[in-house]
Amino acid sequence: MSDSWQMLEGEGARINRRKFLKVLGVAGGGAVALSGCAGEPEKLIPYLIAPEDQIPGVATWYATTCRECPGGCGVHAKVREGRVVKLEGNPDHPVNLGKLCARGQAALQGVYNPDRVRSPLARTAGGDFEPISWEDALQRVAERLGSAERGRIWFLTGNEKGTFEQLVREWLSAFGSGRHVVYEPFGYEALRRATLDVFGIDGLPFYHLDEARYILSFGADFLETWLSPVELTRRFTASHAFQNGSMGRLVQVEPRMGLTGMNADEWIAPVPGTEGLVALAIAHVIVRDRLARVPADVSRIRQVLDAHTPEAVAGRSGVAAETIERLAREFTAESSVALPGGVGSQHSQAHASAAAVHLLNYVAGNVGRTVTFAPGYDPSGGSSYRGLADLAAAARNGEVGVLLVHGANPVYASPAGLGFAQAMRQISFKVSFSRFLDETAREADLILPDHDPLEQWNDYEPRPGVYALQQPVMQPVFDTRQTGDVLLELARISGGQAAARFSASTYRDYLMERWRQIQRQVGARGTFEEFWNEALRRGGVWTEVRGRGASLAAGVSRLQFDAWSAPEGSLTLIAYPSSALYDGRGANRPWLQELPDPVTKVTWGSWVEIHPETAARMGVAEGEFVEVSSEAGAIRAPAYLYQGVRPDVVAVAVGQGHTAFGRYAEGRGVNVYGVLGAEPQEFGGIAYYAAVSIRKTGEYERLAKTEGTPRQLGRGIAQATTLAEMLHGEFHPEHTEHAAEVPEHIEEVLEQWQERQYADWRNRGNYAGEHPRWGMVIDLSRCTGCSACVTACYAENNIPTVGKAAVQRGREMSWLRIERYFEGGNGEPFEARVIPMLCQHCTNAPCEPVCPVFAAYHTPDGLNAQVYNRCVGTRYCSNNCPYKVRYFNWFDYQNPADPAFAWPDPLHWLLNPDITVRSKGVMEKCTFCIQRIRGAQHRARMEGIPIRDGDIKTACEQTCPADAIVFGDLNDPDSRVSRLALDPRGYKVLEGLNTRPAITYLARVRNRAEE
Amino acid sequence: MAAIAQPERVTATPTYREITRDIVATLGHPGRLYWIALGSALLVLAIGAGALLYQIRYGLGVAGYAPPVMWGVYITTFVFWVGIAHCGTLVSAILYLFRSAWRTAVYRTAEVMTVFAVLTAGLFPLIHIGRIWYAYWLIPYPNQRQIWVNFKSPLLWDVFAVTTYLIVSTVFLTVGMIPDVASARDRATGWRKKLYELVSLGWKGTDQQWRHYLKAYLYLAAFATPLVLSVHSVVSWDFAMSIVPGWHTTIFAPYFVAGAIYSGLAMVVTLLVPLRRAFKLERYIHEDHFENLAKLILITGMIVGYAYAVEYFIAWYSGNPFERSAFWNRAFGDYWWATWTMIVCNAFLPLLLWFRKIRRSIPAMFLISLFVNLGMWFERFVIIVVSLSFEYEPFAHGHYTPSWVDWAILAGSFGWFFTWFLLFAKNFPMVSIAEVKEIIPMPRRKEART
Repeated sequence: MSDSWQMLEGEGARINRRKFLKVLGVAGGGAVALSGCAGEPEKLIPYLIAPEDQIPGVATWYATTCRECPGGCGVHAKVREGRVVKLEGNPDHPVNLGKLCARGQAALQGVYNPDRVRSPLARTAGGDFEPISWEDALQRVAERLGSAERGRIWFLTGNEKGTFEQLVREWLSAFGSGRHVVYEPFGYEALRRATLDVFGIDGLPFYHLDEARYILSFGADFLETWLSPVELTRRFTASHAFQNGSMGRLVQVEPRMGLTGMNADEWIAPVPGTEGLVALAIAHVIVRDRLARVPADVSRIRQVLDAHTPEAVAGRSGVAAETIERLAREFTAESSVALPGGVGSQHSQAHASAAAVHLLNYVAGNVGRTVTFAPGYDPSGGSSYRGLADLAAAARNGEVGVLLVHGANPVYASPAGLGFAQAMRQISFKVSFSRFLDETAREADLILPDHDPLEQWNDYEPRPGVYALQQPVMQPVFDTRQTGDVLLELARISGGQAAARFSASTYRDYLMERWRQIQRQVGARGTFEEFWNEALRRGGVWTEVRGRGASLAAGVSRLQFDAWSAPEGSLTLIAYPSSALYDGRGANRPWLQELPDPVTKVTWGSWVEIHPETAARMGVAEGEFVEVSSEAGAIRAPAYLYQGVRPDVVAVAVGQGHTAFGRYAEGRGVNVYGVLGAEPQEFGGIAYYAAVSIRKTGEYERLAKTEGTPRQLGRGIAQATTLAEMLHGEFHPEHTEHAAEVPEHIEEVLEQWQERQYADWRNRGNYAGEHPRWGMVIDLSRCTGCSACVTACYAENNIPTVGKAAVQRGREMSWLRIERYFEGGNGEPFEARVIPMLCQHCTNAPCEPVCPVFAAYHTPDGLNAQVYNRCVGTRYCSNNCPYKVRYFNWFDYQNPADPAFAWPDPLHWLLNPDITVRSKGVMEKCTFCIQRIRGAQHRARMEGIPIRDGDIKTACEQTCPADAIVFGDLNDPDSRVSRLALDPRGYKVLEGLNTRPAITYLARVRNRAEE
Repeated sequence: MAAIAQPERVTATPTYREITRDIVATLGHPGRLYWIALGSALLVLAIGAGALLYQIRYGLGVAGYAPPVMWGVYITTFVFWVGIAHCGTLVSAILYLFRSAWRTAVYRTAEVMTVFAVLTAGLFPLIHIGRIWYAYWLIPYPNQRQIWVNFKSPLLWDVFAVTTYLIVSTVFLTVGMIPDVASARDRATGWRKKLYELVSLGWKGTDQQWRHYLKAYLYLAAFATPLVLSVHSVVSWDFAMSIVPGWHTTIFAPYFVAGAIYSGLAMVVTLLVPLRRAFKLERYIHEDHFENLAKLILITGMIVGYAYAVEYFIAWYSGNPFERSAFWNRAFGDYWWATWTMIVCNAFLPLLLWFRKIRRSIPAMFLISLFVNLGMWFERFVIIVVSLSFEYEPFAHGHYTPSWVDWAILAGSFGWFFTWFLLFAKNFPMVSIAEVKEIIPMPRRKEART
């Protein structure tokens, strides 16, 4: 337990039974009726008089919006007995259509985070924080605001596109200031600047990946963090999944293969910084060979294109001229789109690279088709690092009187050279609205904790035309207040002009006022009441904004296209956003810390990706700490040898290395901002590339990675084929024990024996047809390896997080894991394959007969059940499981008195009440979400209707952004799962063992270039 | 401590009287060395017990388990002790049936070792399970919950095999001791006299008693003999019945039985050498005995070595990729050192016993026996840990390193074993008085009278 937490545990701040019952009772009144009130609930409602919309044991669902990243997905929050216990995507929401990523799933650990600020805190003379009352806190701020000079009040927020942003602006102007800085560490300054330069449009493009058969991505990590990853995953899969005999093609041009690169059909690794040149060279070929109907105004960039011949670019980029020519032909052969670099490939010339990609799209005629523009679209909310740097400079010059910070943590997430912490110390009064004691909040004088997004009224516009509402899904867990209410209250206390400015007394009223305008904008009929309630029910309102085409801006011919290049002899560091922790804001969620990185499979820490050649040259082995130093500073982290980075590149994920931010984040890994340059780049953003040198240190750590052997050893676990093979019917799944090796006379005996084993079960009525046979199909041509399912499984099934030391011993409990295997490399094309591995619910399950006490047994509907109560913990079942999907409770993760307790108060509120938490010494495993199966069966029985295919969705299937998982009844020949299981790509893992798994995998298909 | 007659002079061929006197003398007043030995055993036992309590309190995670290696030092040590337990029955029952006269001097030690080794081994399945407080669920007893055990599970067979073996070997030991305990009874005083009276079951040494006794002993020997083969076969099925590459093989039962006898014989040597010295039994246990034990060790050791070779051959010849890589991993993977320790200690070092000189050299025998013990522990470690760490699913391969708790409990098991052994050795004759007398030449009338 950290000191800060102890300190916060003052009188009344604790969650005790009494307060818990209050929450329980009042939330029963319905979240809609809660309004934005932040005070104590008015009365207790005992369950003796049951609230009408709360039935104990039956979940209530509320629509709201995920605020874990700028994506803005719609969420349905499952509320049981007044507590939110699970988040699922809102199927109506246009961004995510019912899906969520791992970060979205982990939002639950934000609201119940044990390290939340539990009441207003004020800095004492000694430098510590002490809890104070809200009245006192507001009074203190109002005094400072009153005495602050005009124009010296600054407000720093994260991306708050929507009503809150409007409130901040109005509020600031009411106090006579216009100093609103928006800062998202991963802003889109470069892309925004390039769009302005090339097309004269201020706003980012929409990329219609689903309409493109050919996607050429120059480092865009659109499956991980770029723009709106859940939506882009869906759109990508729509184009790229193998269906009806065809599929799209993804070519990833980037010096470090990330998750998106792993999903590419071809990975091309140029010299870091030269992606833009490659794009221009492709454009050159298209124009030269008239491969597309090139728009007439392309003549204005003739000079630029002429200069970038494939031969000239090949020398600088390391991409062969023939490859460039081939890419140009492929790019123009079918509908295509080129994606500019993501924030993970952002160097000082990122705007030029993005502009080059814009030109390529333009030349190929994609603009207006697969690339459209909606002015004002910016998922980072107009964030600007230059704005932050200006704020820091102003603070140093004593020009900032009062700084208010909401939803941004620049002390952590900005280059160390900027010295934001020191700059903040020059400001006489800093107010933070942070929910956590993060690095920036620690520098504040006063902390006025905001509600969690799941506890507040708000709205958010993830993109033009989509207005998503947030409503409180439960009573606040702590003594926090919504910042919108606090701002209005402050205006009221301050009196005068500021008070007169706002008519709304609560933020909810303010929000509704704006929504009256929105009603007019979208032209919805009916009363506002109807409109509002319908919007709440649906989670918002949306109109389809398709975006439009564009033509080249006037100044386009003056653009410079330089490549970034590292000085001779140095390596290039690529700092990329962590797919789980993003810019570090996920670091205090144990689910995300324990979620293996989709590429390296490392958890709970940082690592430096180094090419094995480079490592061998330096004598660095995996796990050895290396020091990465640039002009700006140095960091030390263990090495991870990875052939997915070029030999002249090292890569480190952003997100770890917190010095504050709670027990799960603090003192873990390194903060890569320590080596990034502080100077804002020409386009106004941070360069996430740096020229570095590395040095071995001789110290070692066992990497906390969940992977054993990274190669398949020819065992056909994750199988793949090529499109050509599929089209010619040449694909036959590999079997690890080839028929040819089994003598003919034995074969017959073997078959009889197998059949007999199977019949043994059938004779007992297990598969006689009166029961369903639950099964699953996982399509590897859809699965991207994003790992959303893993976190969904943790959330649904009360899986404990075990911490770094346990993961180092391989004791993670994740019932569902994404296995990642590497193929090729060492001269061959380097590729990765992923496969979700969970209990296969075998028909001939090897785990069952070996259990001496029948804790592992077979249910009549074919599930491989595990009776926790009966388990004595011999662990023989796990030894005998060829898939290694059984997990043992090494410690007492469920016991609050035990040091291993996985859900410190109030984190245990997120436990799914339908599931037990397992005690020490018992085995557990995937149940195919048996609680969902039985729940649906009970409902069906009560309502007297049969269960239809698709009624039951497992948690992993429900959240999969790529729709790779299908669950259903294999005994029903018409179910989706039965039909998909017959796919020619279908195979079962380790089929030769005669376990007869219930899960059929459909082999991945790679759309390789025609030779 | 009850008074016991002190040994007198030692002559070349002992007389009946000298035998009784010498052997009963071993029950005499314990010297300092004995107390030091017993004290250390108890200390080590206490450390092990402390580690076990710690493990029960916090969970099995305090041991070094690293999935997929779900069985580690505990099961290794379980098999190790069960294996050791095999020699006792072999020496006492099988050699008895074959009328091998030389067994008489050593069989008691072997039998005692057997009983305590089974007693030690039996602890490990309990130590190793996740919820030790529910261990009784493994016993099929009628209960209101109407739940039953799974007779398909080899672990259940184990429960039966080990308990059967414990009961039979205990009965065999106590029955075999009756005449000797009676001899001790006649010389003991105080509480020990009472104890001996109880254990000797009123033995008077009448002809009728001898007639019944020898029949009973023969019958018990015949009854115990199959257990030598069955118990360790069943233990081996814990592994062979699974589908783990490196476990799932038909050679396991004979391979394990040979290994068990092999390790048990080595342990007998390890125990006999110091015992002989401490109890001054050089006249009764001499080089001939060690040579005979050495020959048995040599033959079983060669069987074990052959089994290793066959395992590797079959792994290659079967063409099964999983078997192949499992065995490749054994020899050249992370745990190559454990595998090679096992191979050198078990398959190569005992070949020295082809030399008569070595067979008859007591220090050399002692040294070799220690290596065989070590090697046999590693054999189980390699079979269990190395096979599990490198199974079917490459992504789930793992690496196991035992923690201090594993080592403490392993050491504690030796403490437990030696505590019992030492207590027994000072209270019961470790060489069979009656049977040694049977094999010495019939005394001439004159000598007998003296």
